[in-house]
Amino acid sequence: MKDEQVDDFLQKASRVAHEVDPALLKRVADSIHSSLRPVRPLPPTWVLTGGLVLICAAVALAGAARTGFYGFEKLSVLERGLILATLGLLAWVAAREFVSELIPGSRRRFSAGALLAMASVALLGMFALLFHNYRTEHFISAGIACLLTGLLVSIPAASLSWLLLRRGFAVNSVSAGLVGGALAGLSGVTMLELHCVNFQALHVLVWHTAVVPVSAAAGALVGRALRGS
Amino acid sequence: MARYQAGDFAAATALIDRVSPQLQRFFLAKVGSRADADDLLQDTWLRIHRVRHTYRPGEPVLPWFYAIARRVRIDHYRRASRTTGRERRLEDMPSVAATPLREEGEGDDLETLLAPLSESQREVIRMMKVAGMSLEEVARATSCSVGSVKQKVHRAYKNLREKMSAMGLEKGPSGGLP
Repeated sequence: MKDEQVDDFLQKASRVAHEVDPALLKRVADSIHSSLRPVRPLPPTWVLTGGLVLICAAVALAGAARTGFYGFEKLSVLERGLILATLGLLAWVAAREFVSELIPGSRRRFSAGALLAMASVALLGMFALLFHNYRTEHFISAGIACLLTGLLVSIPAASLSWLLLRRGFAVNSVSAGLVGGALAGLSGVTMLELHCVNFQALHVLVWHTAVVPVSAAAGALVGRALRGS
Repeated sequence: MARYQAGDFAAATALIDRVSPQLQRFFLAKVGSRADADDLLQDTWLRIHRVRHTYRPGEPVLPWFYAIARRVRIDHYRRASRTTGRERRLEDMPSVAATPLREEGEGDDLETLLAPLSESQREVIRMMKVAGMSLEEVARATSCSVGSVKQKVHRAYKNLREKMSAMGLEKGPSGGLP
């Protein structure tokens, strides 16, 4: 049997006329009539994406300005360029996917899980390329301090991002929360790269990178909690 | 749709009349009961109305409708499973999964044809054949990549070819079904 024959069967079977009760249609029309007023469509995707990236950059800069740009000052020009370019690119991709999550019927390039995996692998690759000091002094205590600082920065980034996209509608709130959390986590990582002077490879690889998946997981939990609302 | 967003009631009514049959058929395929499908259709329109500003003129409209309808359907299942506590997936129900191809006039032949497929394959085929959506539009409606939709369609056709061959339907549409 060929695909064309299967297609013929499906075409013929799907051509059955389907009527909806006119009373139901009238009821639906009446139910929206009283609240029918002009609405302003959401801005284009690139505007919202740009807004999200600016919010994340501003929050990271504000966090680093408060704690000091010590890490950034110790980095070479090449390291600064590579780190900022990678984080900027990842933030743009995550912001674009976050916008898609909040507009029904949008084109999707990655699933939420694939985006999180891609961001984590890209950060690990970049840090492994740049940092080669494998000493592990104060690994846990310094690491937890950095993780908490990164997460603290991601909270305002997530809140402001949600504020920008508050008119959106998530068809899958868990997935939207995960992507939004990952984006906010990238803001936290950016702040850490500007501030943290601990360039031990394992510290940066484990604790700085961890901000993104932990923040994404928190975002998914928030999305799950808000699912019914 | 743009006129509906601008507050034009005639446009809203025309849209409701035009899209509702497709959406109701989409729900009927899953819930089985006409009353439930009617409830879901009403819920969907209320949701559509509330978030109508999220549609952007120039974008394909059907994926936007179906993405919202899918969300309403999922919420319905979640509520139902919370209240009954023992919801079973439709595809797991032996009465549906093992339904043989029906004779002419016995009901919805498309659903009978699609019965051997998995739910995700059925959904994709329904959107393409009933709603006439393209691969790109189905991908948008289901929040998947186009590649993933293509793969589902390919597998669905493979399954259908095997089932139809096994049932001796190679002679063409006039051979058995309507």
